[in-house]
Amino acid sequence: MLDNTPLVLGNETFSSITDHISSITERKAPKQWYLLLALASSLALVLFGMIGYLFWEGTGIWGIQNPVGWGWAIVNFVFWVGIGHAGTLISAILFLLRQKWRTSINRFAEAMTLFAVLAAGIFPAIHVGRVWVVYYMFPLPNQMQMWPNFRSPLLWDVFAVGTYFTVSLLFWFTGLVPDLATYRDRAKTKIKKMVFGILSLGWRGGNRQWKHYEMTYLLLAGLSTPLVLSVHSVVSTDFATSVIPGWHTTIFPPYFVAGAIFSGFAMVMTLAIIARKIYGLEHLITMKHLDNMNKIILLTGMIVGFSYGMEFFIAWYSGNPYEQFAFVNRAFGPYAWAYWIMVSCNVLIPQLFWSRKIRRSIPAMFIISIFVNIGMWFERFVIVVTSLSRDFLPSAWDYFTPTIYDIGMFIGSFGLFFTLFLLFVRFLPMISMSEVKGVLPQADPHYYDHEHDTRKGGQHV
Amino acid sequence: MSKQKVVGLLAEFPHPGALLKAAEKMREAGFQDYDCHSPFPIHGMDQAMGEKRSPLGWMVGILAFIGFTAGMTLEWWTSAVDYPLVISGKPFFSYPAYGPVAFAFMVIFGAFTAVLGMSVLNKLPRFHHPVFYSDRFAKASDDGFFVSVENTDPQFDTEKTRVFLEEIGGQHVELLLETDEEQALENE
Amino acid sequence: MKFDSQTYRVETDNQLGFKILIAGIAALLLSAIGYFTHSKQFFFSYLVAYTFWVSIGLGGLFFVMLSHLTGTVWGIVLRRIIESIMMALPVMAIFFIPLIFGFHDLYHWSHAEAVAEDPLLQSKAPYLNVPFFIIRTGIYFGIWYLLARKLYALSLQQDEQPTNEQIVKMRRVSGPGMVLFAVTTAFASFDWIMSLDAHWYSTIFGVYFFAGSFLGALSFLVIVSAWLHNKDILTGTITIEHYHDLGRLIFAFVIFWGYMAFSQFFLIWYANIPEETIWYQHRWTGSWNIISLFLVIGNFLIPFVLLMPRAIKRNRNKMFVLAIWILVTHWVDLFWLITPNLHHHGAHFSWMDLTLFVGMGGIFVSLFWKYLTKGALVPVKDPKLQESIQFSNA
Repeated sequence: MLDNTPLVLGNETFSSITDHISSITERKAPKQWYLLLALASSLALVLFGMIGYLFWEGTGIWGIQNPVGWGWAIVNFVFWVGIGHAGTLISAILFLLRQKWRTSINRFAEAMTLFAVLAAGIFPAIHVGRVWVVYYMFPLPNQMQMWPNFRSPLLWDVFAVGTYFTVSLLFWFTGLVPDLATYRDRAKTKIKKMVFGILSLGWRGGNRQWKHYEMTYLLLAGLSTPLVLSVHSVVSTDFATSVIPGWHTTIFPPYFVAGAIFSGFAMVMTLAIIARKIYGLEHLITMKHLDNMNKIILLTGMIVGFSYGMEFFIAWYSGNPYEQFAFVNRAFGPYAWAYWIMVSCNVLIPQLFWSRKIRRSIPAMFIISIFVNIGMWFERFVIVVTSLSRDFLPSAWDYFTPTIYDIGMFIGSFGLFFTLFLLFVRFLPMISMSEVKGVLPQADPHYYDHEHDTRKGGQHV
Repeated sequence: MSKQKVVGLLAEFPHPGALLKAAEKMREAGFQDYDCHSPFPIHGMDQAMGEKRSPLGWMVGILAFIGFTAGMTLEWWTSAVDYPLVISGKPFFSYPAYGPVAFAFMVIFGAFTAVLGMSVLNKLPRFHHPVFYSDRFAKASDDGFFVSVENTDPQFDTEKTRVFLEEIGGQHVELLLETDEEQALENE
Repeated sequence: MKFDSQTYRVETDNQLGFKILIAGIAALLLSAIGYFTHSKQFFFSYLVAYTFWVSIGLGGLFFVMLSHLTGTVWGIVLRRIIESIMMALPVMAIFFIPLIFGFHDLYHWSHAEAVAEDPLLQSKAPYLNVPFFIIRTGIYFGIWYLLARKLYALSLQQDEQPTNEQIVKMRRVSGPGMVLFAVTTAFASFDWIMSLDAHWYSTIFGVYFFAGSFLGALSFLVIVSAWLHNKDILTGTITIEHYHDLGRLIFAFVIFWGYMAFSQFFLIWYANIPEETIWYQHRWTGSWNIISLFLVIGNFLIPFVLLMPRAIKRNRNKMFVLAIWILVTHWVDLFWLITPNLHHHGAHFSWMDLTLFVGMGGIFVSLFWKYLTKGALVPVKDPKLQESIQFSNA
């Protein structure tokens, strides 16, 4: 178990990595790609169609009513923002921790982050009702001479998620620049040469550039790390700053962050397994990578489980009947089914990852990752809906039922996410070539100090 | 045929180890306007070239602080000065509640400084550069390791420098030539 | 004291450990006077000192398991020191016994007459009662003892006959060990500290306590390493690179601590529910607000700003000073959690705060020293030891 297996398997050289990853976008796309794109984009169209109808008709088309004023829109928002956390975690936190195995997965995890945050951003934007005055959310002088309420957690969301998207985009783009230069140098057509030439900013790979580049990368990682923690913490304050039993609890910020990483890794896992299969990337995204990700899923799953337990214990310990009711109602009330789906998917099923065999079995991890995705959606559903549906006035209690528009928009958001993801996979390098080359043993200048000098010296093309 | 002008020299090295050694020799020989190109950053290259640490850290630190202050000031001015409103019994200047937005300002200022700062320090975007005159240079983003010397270097001498590059192990040493037309285009 | 850089052992007649032990016992005896003059103050000071030294040990236990799980290379040279911190933890169980006699002075919920007229305390009585409280503490220490002993034994075994099996086993113990650690640490902090104000509750409290504990253990580690360096021990083994990484870890946990502290304060401040805000109200009354501000500045802002640039992390002496500072603020943190339950109207330091701290510390440190000098100061046969010594941040 002394894991000294290399990060990249097979006899890869610098140029074989370039070839392998670039050729994915240079050759014709596999048939499955067109099929998937057709499917995903039609679902995205459903989303946009329904959003159009929502603008016309109003938020009444959703299942929200009194007392459940926050329905699936908020559930989906939190779900997607959560998914978006793995990318930055992999690119920033694992970078700071010098976990070199991240290099094979960071690029598409970052892309996934961007698209997930985009899918997330749609929901709060459309749930405001009067979308045409959405600019009220920004501190712009307006006809009422009023300013946004900076004491509201909902406004913090606007800034936190907006910042997160912007910084993730900068991070992603910065990481792409050297690879875009590779694409520029390999481009055959004039248009490609132009486009990649402009996008790569004229990158020359000189050490005087690398010096500042590496520093930028480090700084962005340093800035993104607290940012990624703050984003889901801010999302958690939407709930936790209130006085609603089941929402107001001090563990919410770290608990939301752990849950976000948990769900994000599950989504990366789902996508990575598919991508490595379709594009034959088994030697770059190795069993070691998958094993490590499974360990992180297990760890964050345990933190989430710890938080569920803490919440329950403290609800009892508080001696506060409202708190106690909220939790008993979650586990045994009308939404018990959702609660137990959540517990089984998020806490029980990931326990299988204690076994090394399961951590290294592709079908098993694929299925578990799907379960985690499901479980984490239900977690947000349980939080949002159970607490609201049983508020302080029993006469107002009600049961929430989604409409076709709730369901359609949720599924449609997957369509949007996958459409963007498929386009990314088609046109941009989905694995960071420069970073993977950097972790090859040949990349260490001292590799050549001794006998290697003559034997493996040059990289022959 | 139009006249050509030598704007630099380019030499290829077989692997990162050789490039690192070449960089040391370039520095010892006192070259200034040279650079070592590689498809990925090479560990120890900064020491070999005698490069100082990038000043970006300080720039980002200062701008991030300014960003935080700017965010706080905006929140204070809009909520406590320009249009004070009592909301949920909180003070007009509720600094704990203003933390998240001020933090977002801080990060966004810092991130833009990091990226724009890099592009300024690296003089990017720059689409026109002597090294691009070489066809071999396309390898620099694949598996090639190059040393380039520009003619702006005080020591630059087409012949001597070429010999020197070959002495330190450079292969395929070539002249980077700029044609008159291009120069003319530039001067326009 | 002579250090053999081949075997990594120190030859010592253990004068030093003995002196520390004597100093500790003397301080404890001196404190005993306080018990007779002002028993309430005695027990509060005792609890602060007790939780402080337990928290250092807990941080050590966590660090050992963390290193095994992540398989970090740079930390291997520090492992024996951390293991010795961890081994001093189980003995702290003995110091719990005097606390049992202080329940009445410390814990309001242990007063039968108070429970009789307080429905909230009645509803908590199945958990907050003296026998169960003692049993729970027994369980915590039992678990910590078993974990620490197992990990230490495996590590020593590795010095004798290194096989891969020990590394595998250490990792196997650490996985479930982490889970047990998280639960026991959280509940220990609920029991010992949070239940001082039995009406108040916060789900994050355990994590907050843990954050401070780990910071404390890291600082303790820095102090020990720098002190050893001064004595010409392990000079070429624990290099400036290791300080750099310790500095980064401290920096990260300073932020983590700040994050936990802010989460707890912020959510309670914002929701403004009287039964929760009262806890912060106590800590904002009279001179307590100075202590509260001191914590924000001392335990967060100062180390945060100082550790941000590279320079201090790569300077042994500065790291040494900073580590002492963080240990002090960690003590203040526990003082701030515990003592407002005694002095509602303002912060008040007692001479017993000092003597009990020194007393228990003397025992803790001499134990630590005993374990450290028992064998080699680093895991000599760890296959990655050389790699760890040569580790560089670049």
